[in-house]
Amino acid sequence: MSVDQLWRMVWDYHDQLLSGLAVTFELSIVSMAIALVLGLIACFAALSRLRLVRAPAILFVEFCRNTPVLVQLVWVHFAWPAIVGIKFTAWTSAVIALALQSSGYLAEEFRAGIEAIDRGQIEAAQSLGMTSFRLMRRIVVPQALIKMMPGILNQFVTCFKSTSIVSIIAVQDLMYQAGLIASATFLPMPIYTLVAFLYFVMVLAVSSVVRVATRRLPNFGYFHERREAA
Amino acid sequence: MSGEPVAIERVRKRFGKNEVLRGVSIDVPSGKTVALIGPSGSGKSTIVRCINHLEPIQEGRIAVGAHHITTRGVEQQGRVLGGREVARFRTQIGMVFQQFNLFPHLTVMGNIIEAPVGVLKWPRKEATERATDLLAKVNLRDKAAAYPAHLSGGQQQRVAIVRALMMEPKVMLFDEPTSALDPELIGEVLKVIAELAIRGRTSIIVTHELSFARDVADMVIFMEQGAVVEAGPPTEVFDRPQKERTKAFISRILK
Repeated sequence: MSVDQLWRMVWDYHDQLLSGLAVTFELSIVSMAIALVLGLIACFAALSRLRLVRAPAILFVEFCRNTPVLVQLVWVHFAWPAIVGIKFTAWTSAVIALALQSSGYLAEEFRAGIEAIDRGQIEAAQSLGMTSFRLMRRIVVPQALIKMMPGILNQFVTCFKSTSIVSIIAVQDLMYQAGLIASATFLPMPIYTLVAFLYFVMVLAVSSVVRVATRRLPNFGYFHERREAA
Repeated sequence: MSGEPVAIERVRKRFGKNEVLRGVSIDVPSGKTVALIGPSGSGKSTIVRCINHLEPIQEGRIAVGAHHITTRGVEQQGRVLGGREVARFRTQIGMVFQQFNLFPHLTVMGNIIEAPVGVLKWPRKEATERATDLLAKVNLRDKAAAYPAHLSGGQQQRVAIVRALMMEPKVMLFDEPTSALDPELIGEVLKVIAELAIRGRTSIIVTHELSFARDVADMVIFMEQGAVVEAGPPTEVFDRPQKERTKAFISRILK
């Protein structure tokens, strides 16, 4: 196959490829946003002093982290209708499964970030008369967020890559469209190569942005200093 | 301003099986300064941390003005205070830590006005003015916009002292304020404590700086193994110690 032919093929199917790309981005952004909220809730619940709150939260986090995303996807799409009684569209199932997966990792990331805050910080805030809510909001969470930023951004990259499996339940993402094109043209080699290349470029771009962003995060001198000390 | 009296009565505390306070009683009259000295592990820091209820106690009681710390928590007129009220109680007690514990994500000014603005609800402008004033007094006026990581240990501790003083506490607690400092930075911090921080309030200072204790304290207390061994005016404790253990400790440190 010549380069010319490849271009013609890309041109012929560019609508499908673009709409696949859009779905891929949509999925990763929406599920990541939900995962951030879910992860935060799960994290605070897992840190709770009440066992009744803590136990289910820990169970949830462990479940999310210790099941493969493919299994979760199929489970949500085909088993939840029987369990919950609601039939989701493939897109919704995909978002749920991806959000569950990421929220487990994010909850752990958040928890590690919060637990890494020096005990002295909390004592100083307490001795200044801060209530536990205020010291969480003003002292612990801001510091933890800075520490967690690289982890959160990396999880976004992981989530982006994971979206490629949703074609298995017929969500029309980039990978799904590639499959359609491959069977329509009987030319799997060029189209899958193109898709692999597209993913590579996009993930590379996102990770590069993540790397630069991580380096440029507001660090108030202290991460920098720690890095130098290390 | 004269400060609240602090009365510690037969306080006991255990960490697991390890009894760190074995019935400690210390009276600090209003406006006076007490220096706690003694080997590490003697319970000096623990007793100071009990006064603002960072550590609960397991026996005895501590009176801080009208508040009482008991085994049930912080009480006022026999009623146990809730979390918000305990936080409010702590605003009257300033604390300076060995490790400074400045908030690394806030500037010097941010550190200093965080609690006055957030907790005491002072207008930001007023808080900033007072902070600038105090920073000038500790020679750090030009550091208001700096982050803690860019300051020396001595500078950080001076900021921490200003942060505590902003609340206009009636009692000041110092938990080994110079133990984490390089020797050449100790003097500047001790000067600020002596000239600014303990004026007009009740103060309790845990320290290994014996000559400093002699200069500023109204009373020196020597503790060992969770108990008070000897207490008295600095001239008596340092120059004519009654107990052998006090003598041994003082001569060991001064050597």
